[in-house]
Amino acid sequence: MASLVGLRACFSALQLTSPSLWHSSLKLCVVPVSRRTFAAEVKKTYSRDKPHLNIGTIGHVDHGKTTLTAAITKVLAESGGANFKSYADIDSAPEEKARGITINASHVEYSTANRHYAHTDCPGHADYIKNMITGTAQMDGCILVVAGTDGLMPQTREHILLARQIGVEHVVVFINKADAVDDKEMLELVEIEIRELLTEFGYDGDSSPVVIGSALCALEDREPELGVNAVMSLLDVVDSYIPMPKRELDKPFLLPIESTCLIPGRGTVVTGTMERGVVKKGDDCEFLGYNRSFRSVVTGVEMFHKSLDRAEAGDNLGALIRGLKREDVRRGMVMCKPGSIQPHKKIKAKVYILSKEEGGRHKPFVTNFVPVMFSLTWNMACRVTIAEDKEMVMPGEDTYLVLTLRHAMVLETGQRFTLRDGNKTIGTGLVTEILKFTDADEYTWG
Amino acid sequence: MSLTFLFRTITKDLAKVSFRQHVQSLHTGCHLLAAEKALLMKMRKNTGYTFMNCKKALEKFDNDMAQAETWLNEQALKEGWSKANKLEGRKAKEGLIGLFIGDKAAVMVEVNCETDFVSRNEKFQQLVKEVTFAAFAFHRNKTQSQAGYVKSVLVGDELNKLSFGEGASLSDQVALTIGRLGENMSVRRAVMVGVPAEWNIGSYVHGGVSGQTEVAMGRYGALVVFQGGEEGKREFLGRKLGQHVVGEAPVSLGNMDDLPCGESETRLLPQTFLGDPSTTVAQFLNGHQARVLDFVRFQCGETTSEEAK
Ligand SMILES: Nc1nc2c(ncn2[C@@H]2O[C@H](COP(=O)(O)OP(=O)(O)O)[C@@H](O)[C@H]2O)c(=O)[nH]1
Repeated sequence: MASLVGLRACFSALQLTSPSLWHSSLKLCVVPVSRRTFAAEVKKTYSRDKPHLNIGTIGHVDHGKTTLTAAITKVLAESGGANFKSYADIDSAPEEKARGITINASHVEYSTANRHYAHTDCPGHADYIKNMITGTAQMDGCILVVAGTDGLMPQTREHILLARQIGVEHVVVFINKADAVDDKEMLELVEIEIRELLTEFGYDGDSSPVVIGSALCALEDREPELGVNAVMSLLDVVDSYIPMPKRELDKPFLLPIESTCLIPGRGTVVTGTMERGVVKKGDDCEFLGYNRSFRSVVTGVEMFHKSLDRAEAGDNLGALIRGLKREDVRRGMVMCKPGSIQPHKKIKAKVYILSKEEGGRHKPFVTNFVPVMFSLTWNMACRVTIAEDKEMVMPGEDTYLVLTLRHAMVLETGQRFTLRDGNKTIGTGLVTEILKFTDADEYTWG
Repeated sequence: MSLTFLFRTITKDLAKVSFRQHVQSLHTGCHLLAAEKALLMKMRKNTGYTFMNCKKALEKFDNDMAQAETWLNEQALKEGWSKANKLEGRKAKEGLIGLFIGDKAAVMVEVNCETDFVSRNEKFQQLVKEVTFAAFAFHRNKTQSQAGYVKSVLVGDELNKLSFGEGASLSDQVALTIGRLGENMSVRRAVMVGVPAEWNIGSYVHGGVSGQTEVAMGRYGALVVFQGGEEGKREFLGRKLGQHVVGEAPVSLGNMDDLPCGESETRLLPQTFLGDPSTTVAQFLNGHQARVLDFVRFQCGETTSEEAK
């Protein structure tokens, strides 16, 4: 009770003070967004009126992925959910740059009645892996396209294996080119085969939805049963079978600290861009990083020079913290919901090493290479151990690496980072596993 | 398709198939009998050909599995060639380097396909292995009588015409695989080296494919011809040199007493040694009383200097 009273006092005190003082000092200490490693793109996602998902198509070349994507936009264009993209518009699979990495991918957006989708199609395994690592289109689900004429191809195994590797939990199957198969029983056999293969790779093959149809018919307005209707039922199935990912807003809050400043008479304010979750006045918070950890309370939240009740993922904010001294915190630490995240010293990660053309290294590296790891707002030297019985890593390839940090920093599975050597960005990675730091590891730092 | 897995589950399918069939029979006029369907499943599992072709074959030979299979195998080559012709000209930049070391002889080949999904598939890897062995056999026959250092490079047509046993050529084998995997493929180049008894061949393959034991496969490969080295350490030495060649991509050999010209050095001997940055390759070789005579480096999908011209 006493603390509640204290809290109230803080609130009113905050409101009573001349706002201009608190604002002008904030202006000085809010760091431009561009300085953050991975900011800004998060916010865009939440401003849409429908919930957003990323999906993709995977399947053998020629089985009709592009035709299907065009057909989806055509069908949804009728209800205003998409701009129709013709086959030629999509087919180009342009090279795009994400965090300096070249990825071949085509992107299309559309909305069903319930959801907004970003749809990605990549020509190769390596492109999907780069997508996953850079986070440009972390897939929430995928549509496996199989032509009924050919049935499964030997490499369909590799397609499903990829879906597993990039963490896709839900696969919807579209058996395409049904118009070109005279004997409908053949389609059933294809379906049986696909279900078996999905099961073999740990998916729920028996209850995975399978839709049979023809993308070309939908695109050319023929045989509506196989065409338009099949595409519509595919979209229904995608809507209902692929669950919404947990929204960033629903996760415990995390604010990577970009800077701190002192407001005379008020206290210390930490600023940064909310990585996830929602923070409100009065929330308990924990500060972590550089071997320090302590708890406090948020006594004020301010954004765009206005004092607010709350700030959420993607927002650039300043938070006034009770009893905080400026020297207690520094850039690179995080403010989080107490107990929600821990600092770690050793991780396993999937990393893409930039090629020479992408501005990366010209030469391979071997175990014991020591680049600097940048994540959230911190950076820390780390030692590389090459995993996967490889002896060296060439520029332009993706690989698993074990990274041992000089000091424990906030890290969790799914966190993204970059590796730099001198002033060069040499790689981008995604934490896949937190490893136990042992005494033997201590020794390696010498 | 994993044949063994499918085979295991065939009984389960039989039950499913017959169940579905009841439902289906309401609206499809002519349907297969459950027994025929099971046969069809089995045929598909055994041969890997499409359901449509399997069905055609079974109908043609009145459900005689053996005859149907023979016919399918004959058809496969024809279909493979027609598919190969259709896909010709489509960009095939992915693929694998295959490398095999025999007794004082080695071959390295590059086989391309369109996507890295296919290059990860064992059927494609099987083709790479066959190409590697065909090139090796060719080299063995041709050089039996020669004693010195032999190095030969094959590209394009010479390579496609290599014999593949029983009147078939290597390109027939490629066409069969194209028919099966549905992507454009080509055997791009092969290099073969044979060395005198006192010389050695070192090798290294990078970005390796696990599970392939006889022929090493990956995205990069290197062969290094060298003399000397301590007894028992030659394999290690050859591997380290091969690794250096893959990693540092030298374009020429240079001389043992060349002075290094910095980071951009493209001559092997004066380059900084990858395995120990405190020495040059020449110094490393001196330390092992060894001498490099020649090397070859393949990078999958690279534009070779001849093609660039
Ligand atoms: N008969 C038939 N052909 C189709 C159908 N969908 C696609 N195709 C054809 O299959 C070929 C390959 O399709 P595409 O969309 O480029 O496949 P992708 O390589 O997977 O993107 C094209 O010639 C299409 O016209 C279909 O439903 N029926």
